Amino acid sequence: MNKLNKQKLFLVDDDALFLKSLEIEFIQEGIFDTQTYATGELCIENLAQHPDLIILDYHLDGVDKTAMDGLEALDKIKLFNKDIPVIMLSSQDKIEVAINCMHHHATDYVVKSETAFMRLQKIIKDIFEVKKLQNVITWYEDRV
Amino acid sequence: MKRLEICKSLYKMERRKSYYERSLIEATLDPLFVISPSGKIKDVNEATAKATGETREQLSDTDMFLYFTESDKVKKLCREIFERGFITDYSLTIKDGVEIPVLCSGSVYKDDHGHVQGAVIVARDVTEQTRIAAELTEAKIFADEARETAEEAMRKAERATKIAVEAVKTKQQFLSNMSHEIRTPMNAIIGFTKVVLKTELSSKQKEYLDAIKTSGDALIVLINDILDLAKVDAGKMTFEQKPFKMANSISAMLHLFETKIQEKNLVLIKEYDAKIPKVLVGDSIRLHQIILNLVSNAVKFTSSGEITVSVRLLEEDDETVKIQFAVKDTGIGIPENKINGAFENFQQANSDTSRLYGGTGLGLAIVKQLVEAQSGTIQVKSKVSQGSTFSFILRFQKTNEEGDSHAKILELDTEVKNLSILVVEDIALNQLLMKTLLDDFEFGCDIAENGKVAIEKLRSKPYDLILMDLQMPEMNSFETTDYIRNTMYSRIPIIALTADVTTVDIEKCRAVGMNDYIAKPVDEKVLYNRIVGLVKYPPASVNKGFEKADAKKMRCTNLAFLNKRTKSNPSLMMQMISLYLEQTPPLIKAMKQSFKDKDWNTLHATVHKMIPSFSIVGIDTNFELLAKRIQEYASLQRQAEDMSNLVAELETVCTQACKELEEEFNILKKTSHEQVK
Repeated sequence: MNKLNKQKLFLVDDDALFLKSLEIEFIQEGIFDTQTYATGELCIENLAQHPDLIILDYHLDGVDKTAMDGLEALDKIKLFNKDIPVIMLSSQDKIEVAINCMHHHATDYVVKSETAFMRLQKIIKDIFEVKKLQNVITWYEDRV
Repeated sequence: MKRLEICKSLYKMERRKSYYERSLIEATLDPLFVISPSGKIKDVNEATAKATGETREQLSDTDMFLYFTESDKVKKLCREIFERGFITDYSLTIKDGVEIPVLCSGSVYKDDHGHVQGAVIVARDVTEQTRIAAELTEAKIFADEARETAEEAMRKAERATKIAVEAVKTKQQFLSNMSHEIRTPMNAIIGFTKVVLKTELSSKQKEYLDAIKTSGDALIVLINDILDLAKVDAGKMTFEQKPFKMANSISAMLHLFETKIQEKNLVLIKEYDAKIPKVLVGDSIRLHQIILNLVSNAVKFTSSGEITVSVRLLEEDDETVKIQFAVKDTGIGIPENKINGAFENFQQANSDTSRLYGGTGLGLAIVKQLVEAQSGTIQVKSKVSQGSTFSFILRFQKTNEEGDSHAKILELDTEVKNLSILVVEDIALNQLLMKTLLDDFEFGCDIAENGKVAIEKLRSKPYDLILMDLQMPEMNSFETTDYIRNTMYSRIPIIALTADVTTVDIEKCRAVGMNDYIAKPVDEKVLYNRIVGLVKYPPASVNKGFEKADAKKMRCTNLAFLNKRTKSNPSLMMQMISLYLEQTPPLIKAMKQSFKDKDWNTLHATVHKMIPSFSIVGIDTNFELLAKRIQEYASLQRQAEDMSNLVAELETVCTQACKELEEEFNILKKTSHEQVK
């Protein structure tokens, strides 16, 4: 597939190891133009590149207390363009955290584990499926 | 004259022009109406005549609204066009046999003095557009419905999968629990029967006790069979790859049948191909199980004649050998029409067969599963009342290593006595049984009811060997062994006693540093041999394979996950490992510092950050739980009793992980370097 046609994916996590492992997986998938950012700030700065999808860690201020946390980054992304799907990642499997993310308009919420990548794949597939259907409908509507 | 000519030609020109215009008007497919200010039709084109189904004459001077479905709307149109001077996109329907939807546009025309003479209205036929629009709307609705159906189906499938997975899990758990629950009392029944059999008995008593023992043995075999099948069905059956001595292993196993064969006056013929390498790598226990099932079938269904067990080398290359095993009998045979079902669950050739010969019909099903799971093939040839031949072909790896000495049955050694043995077992009945057996061997024996007590006893008195039940409350056997090996640094031989011999358990036994295991119900000969074997040949020299496995398993990291994720790409693996090595030491430091400072929030966050990396580098989930416990304490914002231990333990593991990964990194670096060369 041509690089120009690839969907642009942002991965944001301050856990370099997990970030790398996700990146490797997505690169092997081969359908994304993958960019990684260690902080929410860097991700926001690069929003002008118009990512098609963002995977965002919830706990971005774990070590650096002054860093922007995941929710704040999420709000800023949604402010920039509310249509960018954002999947939140976290090692906490607390319901409140998940609900909170959803209230901030996250598309979905995934707990970091060995199966995280599989879940992500599935969610991403769904997102693009819905997007595709929406496009088809828009196309029909335009013709009508 | 000249004027007349000019007039004529002008008139002609005028006529031509008018013809031309007229033909343009006639050529268009859109119906055209010319109306007077009162709404009467003054002129139409051919298309109008066609659309309305009237002739031009019929149309002439009639009201335009007569030809449309909504006459009010037409009247409104006429009003509007003369008020405003024009109209656009007015949708109407021409009525005729078929109704034609049209979009009307038009404007008034005036004479030279600017007086309105009438209006021209073009009614564009939009049948096609309307049809396409309707079809599109339909298609859209259909697409939406299809999507919903698909989503619903997906949800249903997901639910069904979840339920199925859970059901399998529950079944597995149930079987495992039941087997333990059944085997524990069976163990006691059989064990004590054996003990009583050794005492002075009347012949009647002996007969009854023999019956109890035989039934007990049969029951245990049945439970094991069912469990095995369940395991194969669940894909849980795994096979060891361990060196073993094929010839010894098979003759030791056939030994078991000698009495039975003698009783029935049969002849057992062994044919063993001398070309087969002495030591091969494979799963000797499963091989036993296969041959055992086939031979016991042969013995069961043969009343006279001979049973031939042959082992033949079929192929050999540099790395592997292909061996054919065959068990031939001169028994009742299988009718041709039943031969295909022979390997199915709960099948016996005749329903009478089970009444006559007993058995559940699980044996061959298990054999087939076991052979096929090791990518082997099995077949059967048979003739009624002449006998059957079951043969299967398996491939084994060749090796230079020494075979597993367990397969060889040690001669009873009368010299070994006065051993002091510690039995760790929580069930009183089993404690008593063990004590009776060990007393019989004239071994000294102490009982500990759990791991904690065992460790206390170990500290106060030296022992030669430990027998440890795998299922214990309080401190479990794995924790206990781990403590003995890694905290007390004791190399004392440990034999696990287990009711449910799953490969998982065995792997785990080895991983924590146990030397061997014995399945319950304990066979006293086996018990004696294993104890003496381990005491006489201490672990270090008994089996190199074991030692190596220990050393390897004691590592706290495991690159399986990384290997899988990176598809064993060395450069990606190196990237991942170096990231871990970069990230972890500062986290360890931060963890220690925040613990010292009682900065619970930072401690919580730091440990939180460490957790995801565990699964990546394959650190045992126990440590993940440990880390989560630290988090829990940290979120309570206070120092807990054993917290410093937990933090220290986590530090040790992570530091060790860093060390191991550094080694792995260097190995990868070296190999990838070599590959480049």
